[in-house]
Amino acid sequence: MRPFELEQPRSLKSALKLLDAGDESVRVFGGATALMLMMKAGVFQPTRLISLRGIESRYSKATAAKDGSLRIGALTTLSALGRTAAVRRRLPVIAATLRTLSNVRVRNVATLGGHLAHADPHMDLPPVLIALDAQLVTAATAGSRTLPVSGLFTGYYETALARNELIAEVLVPDQTGRRAAYVKLTTRAADDWPTLGIAVSLRTDGRVIEDARFVVSAATEKPLRLASVEALLRGAVVNDALLARAGEAAAAEAELIGDARGSAAYKTELLRVHAGRALRQALAA
Amino acid sequence: MTTHRTIAFTLNGNPVTVHAGNHQNLVELLQGQGLFGARESCAQGLCGCCTVIVDGQAVSGCLTMATLVDGADVRTIEEPQAGEGGLDAVQQAFIETGAFQCGFCTPGFILMTRQLLDAHPDPTDDEIRHYLAGNLCRCAAYPEIIKAVRLAAKKRGG
Repeated sequence: MRPFELEQPRSLKSALKLLDAGDESVRVFGGATALMLMMKAGVFQPTRLISLRGIESRYSKATAAKDGSLRIGALTTLSALGRTAAVRRRLPVIAATLRTLSNVRVRNVATLGGHLAHADPHMDLPPVLIALDAQLVTAATAGSRTLPVSGLFTGYYETALARNELIAEVLVPDQTGRRAAYVKLTTRAADDWPTLGIAVSLRTDGRVIEDARFVVSAATEKPLRLASVEALLRGAVVNDALLARAGEAAAAEAELIGDARGSAAYKTELLRVHAGRALRQALAA
Repeated sequence: MTTHRTIAFTLNGNPVTVHAGNHQNLVELLQGQGLFGARESCAQGLCGCCTVIVDGQAVSGCLTMATLVDGADVRTIEEPQAGEGGLDAVQQAFIETGAFQCGFCTPGFILMTRQLLDAHPDPTDDEIRHYLAGNLCRCAAYPEIIKAVRLAAKKRGG
């Protein structure tokens, strides 16, 4: 790696000021796991980096609110997120997803904000957070804004964040009455990058699905909700035929991308088969 | 603002002061201190050969910027242990079960096993496999490694 300058601000405000300085190559980091890989590969050669690790500690933890929602600071490490009692109790789908997300050492330092801002479509939590209808709170010297996690990703490794804007918090609404699941399909090891990810969240009344969010990731440029599957499920009675039709609809709508982890045809077949299984897993949650 | 700085941290219980570059990683920093137990193997945080304990948490040394350990408590496989021959129960269990061939990955497996047993004193096989999924043994001594972890848990009274 090439030498670079490192700033370690003690507050979010001073971090934002450093970002505003007009230097185009400056970047912020939390855990820096993905950043280190990009720097080692020579893909990214910064002259100046800003570590966010020293900013106010409230950005490094998850807090449950009385209304059942959860406010997660962007610098919360994935390990800390998985240990948070409210996450384990209210968002078991996140706790389950973290189990096979990379490994213990990476989870100990990688942060939720970095996980999202990196915008690698293979990441496990973006599709899950989209299925949970999570929102982001961003910060910039000009002010903050709230946007849905689904609106963050604009393409392959691309986000809607401005150059001088940071993810400050992630808000997960109350999930009472909903059930969710994430199916991570890997072709090498269980904790490998997924070949295909499917995240599902359902609101049901007995055997009737009142509302569905169905997200595919990893085989797409960015995590995508499949409108045809969601429309098919809304108001439908759960049975084997419905789940099979959901798989057909998903395979027809999603334009999947082939890579070293499988051809587009193979991944489409995975989606056709596992869409129903993901829905069953959510119904059983 | 410079690209290098002087940092002070605790290394295996002893205070050290080092001049390091921001672009160096923790494995390189430790090599400068004459410690070669943490090895850069995959260089991607996948294999666990470069495991280092920073402030009580396992990290991949190859993905850790050296200057970020300023003020931290850093522990490596070279840290002397209280047991017989300066070895702890985990090291003794690895020797007794022959849980290695070439030994290149062993420091990482031992440090991660200590973390595992701190979190789960009596782990199930499923917990062992998940916790150590990020450590690779190219000699494939995995069956013996799992036996070593179970033996270490017993030795530690889990």
